[in-house]
Amino acid sequence: MPGEKQDQLLLLYLRLGAFLCFAGWAWVHFYWHAPYGVLLWHDNTFSFLQRFGITWEEFVGTGVGDGWVQKWSGRIGWLYLVCAILSLTARKVSRFQMIGLLCGSLLLVILTYAKFVKAQYQLPMFVEHGGQMLIPVLLVFALFFGIRHQMTVKAAMVAFIMTFAGHGAYAIGFWPTPSTFYAMTTVILHVEYQAAQIFLYIVGALDFVICVGIFIPSIRCASALYGAAWGLVTALARPAAGMSLSLNYWGADQFLHETILRAPHFLIPLYLFFLWQQSPSRSAPESTEGTGKPAITS
Amino acid sequence: MKLLKTLSICSIVLAITIPAASQQKKKAAKGRAILAIPEVEKKDVICFALYTVSDGTLKLTAQLYPLAEDDTKEVRLEIEKEGRWVEVAKVNAIDPGWTAPFRVDNWDDSKEAKYRVAHGDEATYEGIIRKNPVDKDEILVAGFTGNSIHPTHGGDISRQDIIDNVKKADVDILFFSGDQVYDHFKHYAGWLKFGRDFGDIIKDRPTLCLPDDHDAGQPNLWGESGKVSTLGGASDGGYSRPGEYVQEVERAQTSHFPDPADPHRIGQGIGVWFTNLNWGNIDFAVIEDRKFKTGPAGRVPKQGPRPDHILNPDYDPTSVDVEGAVLLGERQLNFLNNWTQDWAKADMKVALSATIFCGGAHIHGNANGRLHADMDSNGWPQSGRNKAISTLRKGFAFHYAGDQHLATIFQHGIAEHGDGIWSFCVPSIANLYLRWWQPLEPGANREEGAPEYTGDHLDGFNNKVTNYAAANPETNPAGNILNTRSAGWGIVRLNTKSREITMECWPRNVDITDPASEQYPGWPRTISQFDNYNPPSWGKLGELSFNVEDPVIQLIDKETDEILYTVRANGKTFTPGAPEGKTFVVKAGKNAPDNIVSEKGKVGCAPQSVSLN
Repeated sequence: MPGEKQDQLLLLYLRLGAFLCFAGWAWVHFYWHAPYGVLLWHDNTFSFLQRFGITWEEFVGTGVGDGWVQKWSGRIGWLYLVCAILSLTARKVSRFQMIGLLCGSLLLVILTYAKFVKAQYQLPMFVEHGGQMLIPVLLVFALFFGIRHQMTVKAAMVAFIMTFAGHGAYAIGFWPTPSTFYAMTTVILHVEYQAAQIFLYIVGALDFVICVGIFIPSIRCASALYGAAWGLVTALARPAAGMSLSLNYWGADQFLHETILRAPHFLIPLYLFFLWQQSPSRSAPESTEGTGKPAITS
Repeated sequence: MKLLKTLSICSIVLAITIPAASQQKKKAAKGRAILAIPEVEKKDVICFALYTVSDGTLKLTAQLYPLAEDDTKEVRLEIEKEGRWVEVAKVNAIDPGWTAPFRVDNWDDSKEAKYRVAHGDEATYEGIIRKNPVDKDEILVAGFTGNSIHPTHGGDISRQDIIDNVKKADVDILFFSGDQVYDHFKHYAGWLKFGRDFGDIIKDRPTLCLPDDHDAGQPNLWGESGKVSTLGGASDGGYSRPGEYVQEVERAQTSHFPDPADPHRIGQGIGVWFTNLNWGNIDFAVIEDRKFKTGPAGRVPKQGPRPDHILNPDYDPTSVDVEGAVLLGERQLNFLNNWTQDWAKADMKVALSATIFCGGAHIHGNANGRLHADMDSNGWPQSGRNKAISTLRKGFAFHYAGDQHLATIFQHGIAEHGDGIWSFCVPSIANLYLRWWQPLEPGANREEGAPEYTGDHLDGFNNKVTNYAAANPETNPAGNILNTRSAGWGIVRLNTKSREITMECWPRNVDITDPASEQYPGWPRTISQFDNYNPPSWGKLGELSFNVEDPVIQLIDKETDEILYTVRANGKTFTPGAPEGKTFVVKAGKNAPDNIVSEKGKVGCAPQSVSLN
């Protein structure tokens, strides 16, 4: 495959990851509700807004009409939709679009922070969203510095480690393993609780192994490939366990977005795999704008 | 270019530093309780004990702190007889959960007995098995729900006020309707804390704790006969936590209940505990209103931002009453149907469950979130709700429940307002999540001077309800003190002589024996046992006079053979109520309706004297 096409393919993984992540979250904002409640519906937030003359009714609604909380929660969905489009349209020369994507990343950080607070400040809850929060940054780096530039690759490795270390910390039980982990394992694999426990412990340990593995040249391709496969499996696990022919729309509206917004969990490792799997000649340093730093090679 | 670089670096830095900073902040925050299992000396290894006595069987569960590997697992139950402790049962404590469930058959409930649980040579825990208070005219049942321990809303404040008041009132039965433990991963630690908080009153009187959603480790519970739930929020139905965890929870909270009426296990090996407890001539049905209930996600058309919430006030309520959706399920309905007909040793009947059979709140959460209907309530599915009420009213059962975080009194209706049972939903011990009963339109047929939110309403599922009281929290915002959030508890006084039921709703930290202490507005309220099935459209049959006190009377629809109701009369006369235009077979007996009194009972028929052997 000609090198340019290979690079386009690598960029496509990141574009697709960012697009699906933003699109999935836009769906959550429009169709379900985003998890901002824990931050917004709070006495302290209201106290802060009171300084600007906003009343409680204006803030939370009268009960009959919507207040700021309800209106703006929905409107944020449009920002996600715009970011999804920017993920497809952004080019190296379109600085404003790239700035838009980075703002999208900040939106994802805020959203993840809300989930983190809702999860009673469990660190893995924030960390495991690293892939989602960083995918727009990765895309911007890829466009701006280059798809093989060390900044892009390092950022991808950070996103990879955050995603799998966070997941692994839950699966192995360093923090209480989420109920859905057991439930999905039990339902999909048709195993009892004890077997699910062992399974989660093993895959949790493997999550940490591949986090280390991507630093070891001889096994980093295998680690990235496993990460891509495991990221895809965990993303698909929600609809696989929950969807049923007996449900309205087969339950697709309940579960499909859970796979879509997790696209970075398998597309970032896939990007790393193909980057590293290609021959050393294709991974040679390329000229990088502004920095002059070489790309990471195998 | 610089801006781009700066933004990029900021994103990465934020992603890494926010959780780290929050972790530091968390240490200083006063928001959540730290739930840990304390290390105790061997002599204190028994934390508390719960018991019931029913039909001559004592069931007592001792709750232990963790036993060391080399500790004996054997736990003994001893009764004091003539000044000496006599062993009556011994079991091995069950791990996980370290519960020791004892059973003593042929228990003489006519006498009080001192008991002690013993472990090894050092540890003992003493309490009193009360005698069955059949000689008391009034049985007091204290009701509780929502035992949050988090400091943000006063959950860390001592429960000593409750302990003192329960002792002063000399309550006969304790009823914890659910959410005794809020921690979704550490039930055992939470249960021990519950025992340390309430053990002092639990050890001396029969106690019923109904494990609800948070006890089982999930925010809401539609059990669907033990299915595995995989959706966040669990609205797809089933249990989020593994079956073993749920079994441990139920073993701790319910293994001292009278034997289940229909003990077949459900999915994941989870047991059932629906049963009845007869105490002081009051027959309590203990209902599991979550275990068999269908989850709404994917079954009903989406009506809001959550599968279980309906925001659109213009939706068609019949569209969510989908075929196949279950509330109590056939097994429980069969049990209740038999229970309403069985009046042996019973003057009155009370149903105990997690929550009430209607959507009993309009505003949810801290932020005026108006919810048209909430499928976590027992107002949904409507067909299941109507089946439950139409079954319970056949025994004139009063309904005592919790879970709503909002104390209310409702009379439920099916075909017309006021044709069903009454319910009392107690307030939370500490209120984690606020709710308000605040209908947009004033209620019809309100009592004189009553607030506009009382009276006849339709709930969000178009169920007919009549509200008589609601202890709404303060608003805008409610603050963090127990009573500004309408925290509290309830007492129901069941008078077997007058057949009156008095509902009391007390705030926290008041002395209920002080005449100056006030209950929440709308309480106390007294109704008659017979108000639990007294539709306004009914007429009266002719008065029946008996030669015996308090006979059991049953009316059967002559055309359909369906039992209209069974009830124990108060005294030697009874005037049956019934719908117009129908003919009834009237049966009666001393303890069961085994004699036909009339086969032509009709509204307006002549009085009749009945002689029973």
